[in-house]
Amino acid sequence: MMMFGRLRLTTTMVAIRSLAVVFFLLIIGGRWIVFADGSSGGGAAGRNGYSGGLWSSAVAPSNVGLAVAVTVMAGLAVAFTVVYSRRGGIGSPWSLRRRKHALQPEQWNAFFDEQGRLSDGGVKFLKKVRSGGVDPSIRPEVWPFLLGVYDLNSTEEERESIRQQKQKEYENLRRQCREIHKRNENGCDSKQTAQSSNTEDSQVLDSHDNAEVNSSKKSIQVEESENLNSILQDGDCEESGVTSEDAANDSDSTNSEGTETSPLLAKEGAENHDTVSSDSTKSEETETSPLLVRDEAESQDTVNSEETETSPLVAKEEAESQEKDTLTPSSKPKSQAEEEFTTTWQRIIRLDAVRANDEWVLYSPSQASVSDKKARGIATQVGLNDYEHLEPCRIFHAARLVGILEAYAVYDPEIGYCQGMSDLLSPLIAVIEDDALAFWCFVGFMSKARHNFRLDEVGIRRQLSMVSKIIKHKDIRLYRHLENLEAEDCFFVYRMVVVLFRRELTFEQTLCLWEVMWADQAAIRTGIAKATWGRIRLRAPPTEDLLLYAIAASVLQRRKTIIEEYSGMDEIMKECNSMAGRLDVWKLLDDAHDLVVNLHDKI
Amino acid sequence: MAGYRVEDDYDYLFKVVLIGDSGVGKSNLLSRFTKNEFNLESKSTIGVEFATRTLAVEGKVIKAQIWDTAGQERYRAITSAYYRGAVGALLVYDVTRRATFENVDRWLKELKNHTEPNIVVMLVGNKSDLRHLLAVPTEDGKSYAEQESLCFMETSALEATNVEDAFAEVLTQIYRITSKKQVEAGEDGNGSVPKGEKIEVKNDVSALKKLGCCSN
Repeated sequence: MMMFGRLRLTTTMVAIRSLAVVFFLLIIGGRWIVFADGSSGGGAAGRNGYSGGLWSSAVAPSNVGLAVAVTVMAGLAVAFTVVYSRRGGIGSPWSLRRRKHALQPEQWNAFFDEQGRLSDGGVKFLKKVRSGGVDPSIRPEVWPFLLGVYDLNSTEEERESIRQQKQKEYENLRRQCREIHKRNENGCDSKQTAQSSNTEDSQVLDSHDNAEVNSSKKSIQVEESENLNSILQDGDCEESGVTSEDAANDSDSTNSEGTETSPLLAKEGAENHDTVSSDSTKSEETETSPLLVRDEAESQDTVNSEETETSPLVAKEEAESQEKDTLTPSSKPKSQAEEEFTTTWQRIIRLDAVRANDEWVLYSPSQASVSDKKARGIATQVGLNDYEHLEPCRIFHAARLVGILEAYAVYDPEIGYCQGMSDLLSPLIAVIEDDALAFWCFVGFMSKARHNFRLDEVGIRRQLSMVSKIIKHKDIRLYRHLENLEAEDCFFVYRMVVVLFRRELTFEQTLCLWEVMWADQAAIRTGIAKATWGRIRLRAPPTEDLLLYAIAASVLQRRKTIIEEYSGMDEIMKECNSMAGRLDVWKLLDDAHDLVVNLHDKI
Repeated sequence: MAGYRVEDDYDYLFKVVLIGDSGVGKSNLLSRFTKNEFNLESKSTIGVEFATRTLAVEGKVIKAQIWDTAGQERYRAITSAYYRGAVGALLVYDVTRRATFENVDRWLKELKNHTEPNIVVMLVGNKSDLRHLLAVPTEDGKSYAEQESLCFMETSALEATNVEDAFAEVLTQIYRITSKKQVEAGEDGNGSVPKGEKIEVKNDVSALKKLGCCSN
């Protein structure tokens, strides 16, 4: 800053005029006071490592002559605005100083008008959530908005009809799951007599974890058939495949159509709009999180005309494309999907469900105190019985996981079930007690996350290469080090990407991160990010890839150790896998924000 | 052949992979061997994880770096990247689930596609504590292993039966092959990372004679 004084003395009127520009710009930048300190000879430059560097490099040529000085001044003006828009005047919404409280119940309620519509189309709401998350007490109400089950512009009344419709669709999916069980069971009967050991393999329920403890258990086959019987009795479905739950609306569904009417087909709503998203067409159907109702007229239409399972999710989202409707069903033939459902997914879903842990218990007292009878009842309904070692709340949780994950596998047969998905669902059902609503929230969540689980691994590879690019642009030295270790593919963050930091963060931290991420995605999905947020967009542009920036930030936070101490990819991976419990989610977001601001237009 | 040693004090580093279907107990074999822990509710492995343990084999300090992979087929493409440099493998099935044994063939093919031909492979039938649910008789495992020239052992990570022995056996085999090769071909221990001392020839030759399953 001393230099600045010297520089000013050597300038002419022209330079002074440009100085005025500097002042002006600095005022815009909101940093007038700091500038004044600096020009009076203080050491303010030292506050900011970036400006220090700029000063010294800029000053050297400034004594050369007038023209240069003018240029330098203009350059400085730009540099200043850039520097301060990065670090000071326009800061991260997640920096310590600015950190807001989570969205509180009173604020949340105040957002709505008399019709129960978010008064400004959800702008303030999303802003609030992305800067501070959501208070735990209102998460069950808020998440369906964040995840696109409810449109941000919907009225209370519209939401109610959506809710009812979604309930029916979910029940229909569950019915399809039961039908597959049943068909499989029938098929198995004949095989069972022929070769008992083989049948066991194709059984739905054979997680041994439980069996290890419960050695006196009956044979798996016996329990299985009992279960299925009880399900079938429950559901009075037989020929028509219509259960009592949904009989009212499903007169058109027959056994043979059962799986075909997977909502993937059903989504072809009358009002699908076709703003095509930029992703590859194959992945399209997912991006499209179906779920948003844009305006009254449309939603009314849908609700009225499409009561049955084929009722589309009134999608009106940008990503909603017509291709989806034609592509998805053919992407995996029904028979193949069903075979995978019975030979693989059902088993692994149960395996993962019974080993979901109970860290959610503190956050959901009502589910934590579920009665043993109720828990077992629900487990029976979904055909889960390897749970003898679990306490009631975990049986309950596991059974809900099974029901919803199976429904999802039917809903999205291209993905089906892949390990890691239960990690994503578990927090959702801990927060949302209604299965149908939790399912549709999960669908909204998966509309993006499903790419992590694609068989061709395109989604995961794209993301890993994105993390790699972020690191490369931010820290070339670290990147070169990774290259030397043949680790520049960033496979060491694989787990973080696949289950979105779930394994590295605590339950509460995870929810905060996800909420912020969902808010960003919602802002983009609904167009708010483009339209309304002008200045916000400049300083913290919402991004689809916030998570990847956060992951890169977590690696960059360890750059010193990685460069100085690690000489193999395995060591880096160990470091990443052991981040659990050592991360500060807001610091992570703050760092991620810094990366977004600097790199989003380069990557 | 026992004892937990200081991490960085070793003669050899061997990379060993754990493969097999989901839910056969790979992660628990790993945690039993490296931490002497067992967790009934250990979560599914996403991608790949690893742990190390250092132990003494025939007077040498061996650092075993054991990579635990996700079992679901969906993850195979990505996990296969981690086969690189592996000199040993435990191919695990669940003795109570026949399908996991039937998949062994596919796992073995996959392994051969991604690793050196002389990799030491042990077939491991885990959950041997669940005798009443046995779906794969010991004989089946044994004869398959013989047919494919693999080592074989039945283990229980829960009861800590044979876990130590299974890993130790594999590491010993690797060590013998490595040191034999080193003697034949100078210092080039293919796939392993020798550090420090040279190999003592006489021990290894005599050891090889006593050797069990793997060398046919």
